Amino acid sequence: MAGNVKIHVSNLVKRFGDLEVLKDISMDVTEGEVVVLLGPSGSGKSTFLRCLNRLETPSGGQILIDGHDMTDKHTDLNKVRENIGMVFQHFNLFNHLTVMQNLTLAPVETKKATRAEAEATGRKYLEKVGLLDKANAYPSQLSGGQKQRVAIARALCMHPDIMLFDEPTSALDPEMVGEVLSVMQQLARDGMTMVVVTHEIGFAREVASRVVFMDGGYIVEQGTPEEVILHPKEPRTIDFLSKVL
Amino acid sequence: MLRIIQIYGTMMVAAMGQTLLLALLSLFFACLLGLFFGLLSTVRNRACNIIGAVYVDAIRGWPLIVLAYFVYFGIPMLIQGLGFKSFRMDSLQAGVIALSLNCGAYMAEIIRAGIQSVDKGQMEAARSLGLSYGKSMFKVVLPQAIRTMIPSIINQFIITLKDTSILSVIGFPELTNTTKNVSANVGLPMQAWLLCGLMYMVVIIILSKASKNIERRINRGR
Ligand SMILES: Nc1ncnc2c1ncn2[C@@H]1O[C@H](COP(=O)(O)OP(=O)(O)O)[C@@H](O)[C@H]1O
Ligand SMILES: [Mg+2]
Repeated sequence: MAGNVKIHVSNLVKRFGDLEVLKDISMDVTEGEVVVLLGPSGSGKSTFLRCLNRLETPSGGQILIDGHDMTDKHTDLNKVRENIGMVFQHFNLFNHLTVMQNLTLAPVETKKATRAEAEATGRKYLEKVGLLDKANAYPSQLSGGQKQRVAIARALCMHPDIMLFDEPTSALDPEMVGEVLSVMQQLARDGMTMVVVTHEIGFAREVASRVVFMDGGYIVEQGTPEEVILHPKEPRTIDFLSKVL
Repeated sequence: MLRIIQIYGTMMVAAMGQTLLLALLSLFFACLLGLFFGLLSTVRNRACNIIGAVYVDAIRGWPLIVLAYFVYFGIPMLIQGLGFKSFRMDSLQAGVIALSLNCGAYMAEIIRAGIQSVDKGQMEAARSLGLSYGKSMFKVVLPQAIRTMIPSIINQFIITLKDTSILSVIGFPELTNTTKNVSANVGLPMQAWLLCGLMYMVVIIILSKASKNIERRINRGR
């Protein structure tokens, strides 16, 4: 099923001063694909994700999201970002707002929905992540796993067609990892286009349509989970997998 | 002291009213200036950052009394020199300008530090949802920054209230200036200045108690 290309990255370069973090990255992600990014810490996985929604400004190359050129200064980034949900390692819930207010802020402020519509959508996604009873709680009253599920619901409330996950379970206690992964798995099953940075190899094997291994600013190896995780060819991939498995 | 209260009590209370008027007007404009220049110092734009820093450094480098003289005597000359011959500035206007500029610089620093104390992830999460920089700042970052800023802001308000006394030098009839006149007329300096000091103290204690209440309420509501 070769669907639409949702994300097109060609020859992406990103430097921080003298440090060249991304040297030459090219990648296409088609609709409904779940791409899992693997790579050692510091290899630029977060930087890559953050370039996709322009939280970082690329130093070179091109990024097209649904055909919108993210490196063109005439592109309305805010508008494109409405269609790209992002989930962060440290949740980044708005601490001064209740769970429901976290979910409705962006839809209401961007005029995507009235308050009533936004709250209805909010309830729908809270139910989906199993936290309807926490609508009026503040983030400080939630566990890590609950916070991350709220963060996912918050992103979904904008009805994005792409979701980016940056190590969504790395800051969680082990017993809470499962609840977040199962929400993500459900999302993948529903056909969401996803790019996921994670060290959860089990998740990659079960859910990924493609696994990409990054190191040293390049894509070293990519393929199906079978190919990359069970039968890696590159020495650096083999070395990395032997450490995380 | 009793004699002073009898004869000049109403005058000194009125002078306290002028002091509060000067302080509140200045605080209002200082908040606007502080917000503007504080934001300039935090946006990702070198030119804006420099403008913010220059304002803060320039104002903090000037003693308030010099600034007051400059605004009161210098600015009207400057504007008249530009051709607006009938331009006049009274001591309230000059006082508010000088004090707002002064307090605004400290407020800018407080607001800059407050914004920077909020985790960067808050802004990033807001931007990632499609909110503009302004919306993210005013709906997400500033409401959280305010919490950490409140003690410093209260402190700055108290300093500014006391700094109104410096504006006695340009002849504004606030409490210190009035006390000077009273003690010159009646000749009871000890009593007059004691009363003056107590009046400042009482107002400041009341204000800081009220502010503490507000602070507690804001911190509870989360
Ligand atoms: N804002 C930044 N300024 C300077 N260096 C950065 C910045 N963000 C990331 N880096 C550097 O870029 C490299 C890649 O970081 P990152 O993308 O976070 O890697 P990963 O997510 O794979 O662990 C690291 O060496 C990191 O120190
Ligand atoms: Mg990372």
